[in-house]
Amino acid sequence: MTTPEPVSINRLNPDQFKHWPCDQDHCLTCALCSSTCPVSGIDGFDPRKIIRMISLGLQTELVESRWPWICTMCGKCEHVCPMSIHIPDIMRGIRSLRDRNQVPGILHKGLEAALKSGNNLGLPQEDFVFILEEVAEEIAQEPGFEGFSVSVDKEGANILTTIHNKLVNTHTEDLKHWWKIFYAAGEDWTIPAENWEGTNWGMFTGDDAAMKVMAGRIAENMARLKAKNLLWPE
Amino acid sequence: MNPATKQILVIGGGISGLSAAVDLARLGLAVILVEHSASLGGHAAHLSCKAADRCVACGACMVEEKIREADTHDAVQIFLNTRIEKIDRHNRFDVTLNQNGQCRHVSVDAVLLATGFTPFHPVNKPYGYGRFENVMTNLELDQMMRRNGAIKRPSDDEFPGNMAFIQCVGSRDSSLGHLWCSKICCGAALRMARCIQHRQPEVKATFFYIDVQNFGKNFQTYYADAQQKVQLIRSIPADVLKTADDRLKLSYFDPDTHAYQESVFDMVILSIGLMPSESTRDLAAMLNIDMAGYSFEQKSALLRPPDGVFIAGTALEPMGIAESTLSAGKAAGDIFHYLKNHDTDIR
Repeated sequence: MTTPEPVSINRLNPDQFKHWPCDQDHCLTCALCSSTCPVSGIDGFDPRKIIRMISLGLQTELVESRWPWICTMCGKCEHVCPMSIHIPDIMRGIRSLRDRNQVPGILHKGLEAALKSGNNLGLPQEDFVFILEEVAEEIAQEPGFEGFSVSVDKEGANILTTIHNKLVNTHTEDLKHWWKIFYAAGEDWTIPAENWEGTNWGMFTGDDAAMKVMAGRIAENMARLKAKNLLWPE
Repeated sequence: MNPATKQILVIGGGISGLSAAVDLARLGLAVILVEHSASLGGHAAHLSCKAADRCVACGACMVEEKIREADTHDAVQIFLNTRIEKIDRHNRFDVTLNQNGQCRHVSVDAVLLATGFTPFHPVNKPYGYGRFENVMTNLELDQMMRRNGAIKRPSDDEFPGNMAFIQCVGSRDSSLGHLWCSKICCGAALRMARCIQHRQPEVKATFFYIDVQNFGKNFQTYYADAQQKVQLIRSIPADVLKTADDRLKLSYFDPDTHAYQESVFDMVILSIGLMPSESTRDLAAMLNIDMAGYSFEQKSALLRPPDGVFIAGTALEPMGIAESTLSAGKAAGDIFHYLKNHDTDIR
């Protein structure tokens, strides 16, 4: 897609996405979105061109393209867009049109695992709690953190926090920094034993139903544990 | 109608007000020209001639000519440092002028608003304006050229090797509520880039734009030249950062290579937009014009002003020097016809 092919005018269907509330037809093609995007240029990825393709109704080309899946949904584009076009919503919208079996593998499998097990890794609850306790023990051995412990499924805590799956997989060290801050601040916090997954791959894959399930589980945890505040870093 | 008995108040001593004053005086009407600042010429008086090897009809030199004509015409009375305190509408307009605290009453048959524009202040844009000395507005660049006859970096007084021009800063921006194109900036930036290159041939110029707005009858002539000598990139940069050696790094998406690019420049020039001026709002309110929701694209109130009130120049919408003088000329003609058909003589 880096070399633009002429598109037959018969293929254009400007009404195709008219019902999307994203203001794509306001685009002035200034390219601020593409200039600010952290992943523009990867495989020629050009958000400006995506918006124009949406405006022209090139549905097949968009759904088959890898471009919408390069986007990290960070939202910088929407922030700088002088016409306030909802570009990340457009990316999600395009992703939602793809057959679920065609969704990139890691996202597809991760989301399936999350819907089934509560987290993208399919990590059983006892393994999850074991990893958290291991990390807590390591912290407790550091000077100044004697007696440190992690509170899982505590009722009535001030903060309930979700966990990014990589933190209990490849990046366990990264749990320590913010837990230490909680300790130093005397914070009353807890982590739910189940449905702790903070990433929502329903959002990234454009699957509204799955996104709702994942978000709903966090709301359920808040109610079940009567937590006062939610910390959802993802 | 005996023109000599008629008196017109022209508010604003920029290019439109000056032109209108001269045109009205030539029609035999007496003119009171009021300017709130200490000098005539408005924004245009700070603009530089943009001639390269020949005149490119930018109009900057017309300002001095108009100042001289207005200043020397017996029928034009000029009040500098003067604000309009009050306007009472009877058959004529009774106006209170305040010149440095001294009030004066005049009675006029018609009022012309030539209250101009306000330049957009780009401090909240991600281009480091106000933080990095070598990021300047196009108006500041013009002033520098006009004053010094050359362009140097403000930070170290060195001649720049390359310069970037970023278009549409504060124009065509719905997040600011500015949906209009400011019209003059594409032509002004390209002319200025070529003018600088003519005087300082070592300067490489890059022009970042959305689409080149083609206004003015001779545009194609110098646009063809600019396409040869200026790097034109159809992309608006996202950020300007200062490098360790005091240069400016721009990041942008290059539509030709489909790649994210970073380029380093000695100076960055922001083509800032034109905005309606507060004076237009305030004076229109004094004249009982409903200014709710007024902007350059919502100006219906100004298009149908009350009898005896006229508007010219960039108070109406963005326009260049030549178009402002035409707008002023039209207003002068409209005023003359209005006075012929409306008896405002004192009885």
